[in-house]
Amino acid sequence: MQTVSFKLNGKPVAAVVGPVESLRDALREKLHVYSVKAGCGQGGCGSCTVLVSGDPIVSCLMPARVAEGLEIITLEGIGTPAQLHPLQQAFYDNFAAQCGFCTAGMITVAKALLDRNAHPTREEIVEALAGNLCRCTGYLPIISAVQDAATRMNRGG
Amino acid sequence: MATEAMFIPESPEAALDLLSEHGRELLILGGGTAAMVLINEGAISPRLVMSLQRAGLNEVRAVDGHLEIGATASLARVAQLSALPLLADAARHIGGWAIRNMATLAGNLFVPPPAGDAAVALLALDAEVIAARKSGTRKLPLTKFFKGRAQTALGPDELVTRIDVPRPSGAAVFLKLGRRRMNTPAVVTAAVRVVRDGQGICVDARIALGAAGEYPLRATQAEAVLQGRKLDTPSITDAAAMAMQAAHPSSDALASEWYRRKMVGVCVRRALEAITR
Repeated sequence: MQTVSFKLNGKPVAAVVGPVESLRDALREKLHVYSVKAGCGQGGCGSCTVLVSGDPIVSCLMPARVAEGLEIITLEGIGTPAQLHPLQQAFYDNFAAQCGFCTAGMITVAKALLDRNAHPTREEIVEALAGNLCRCTGYLPIISAVQDAATRMNRGG
Repeated sequence: MATEAMFIPESPEAALDLLSEHGRELLILGGGTAAMVLINEGAISPRLVMSLQRAGLNEVRAVDGHLEIGATASLARVAQLSALPLLADAARHIGGWAIRNMATLAGNLFVPPPAGDAAVALLALDAEVIAARKSGTRKLPLTKFFKGRAQTALGPDELVTRIDVPRPSGAAVFLKLGRRRMNTPAVVTAAVRVVRDGQGICVDARIALGAAGEYPLRATQAEAVLQGRKLDTPSITDAAAMAMQAAHPSSDALASEWYRRKMVGVCVRRALEAITR
């Protein structure tokens, strides 16, 4: 076991992890960040997506030790219950969550997309979200929510 | 057996030292997108693991007419290489965005079919693999790299440090048939490159196939059949038929062997037709 230190949602944190323990398990089990869902463990569902230096990665496939010194953002760093991010408000308003298991990953990837491209086309949204599976919604409300969030953010609200 | 140690070397030399000390006992992770799946599932339990994420092997450089791509350059970065549209296109077809941010170009050489799309494009581009060991480096053509399913020509103390790609001539097309439009392993992939003279006669051709055998392969007889001919319906039909003969695909959850062989013909035909347009 070894200690790994990194910045989590802007704050320095440290955790004692095994040699090949995933960042996902370290975040959930050691640092109690539960928006990061344990889905497939194969990088196939996207529900454990976090941002590393602003880029989305699937935390189940990154050994926690590799995160040493990096800046990790999870859903908790994107918005709070008191102050929802426009993406979160748009997911709420567009009924883009049903069971909610994929939602944190979806919003995290969508955040990275909108950070790079304030006016994504529908096709660009689909491409960005292609690594995130949703078994409830059929995706259409999710795509609409991201479009809606982009519109709101471009209006400044 | 539990994993005892994870090494994260901070230079190529440090990585080669570890490899020379531990050889095949050391599992090498590029981005981890293939090996971590097996570790998470408990399918493998390597005693020692080395991540190359900090080894300083991710540089991409243009050097007199060719591109030198560091082993750990991410597929997301490769997907942006405007000098190599065929390779960029292949990289864009792999996984989702998050996977492309993690997965590495050299790592893609080690994932067995139906993964390994980038390797298919690299075959069509005459790429060379730079393999390093403590005592020096050697360059081997990608055609000599693959030896069997998940088997390569690398020695136990050798590490892929770089992939060199000459500036491509001719017109090239990458086609992937999957079960979904995006984020899917391949039913079949084809990377085709054709060089034609002023009269439209083929003077050189590359037809590389993925998920069509134990490793990415070139259909050399299909390439030969185009030589000295125009790209038209008869020559394209002949090349597609030869490519089907070169294919020895497997059956899996995505597709049967029979279907894959049929689709090799279809993908090669469509790729060559796309080049004529």
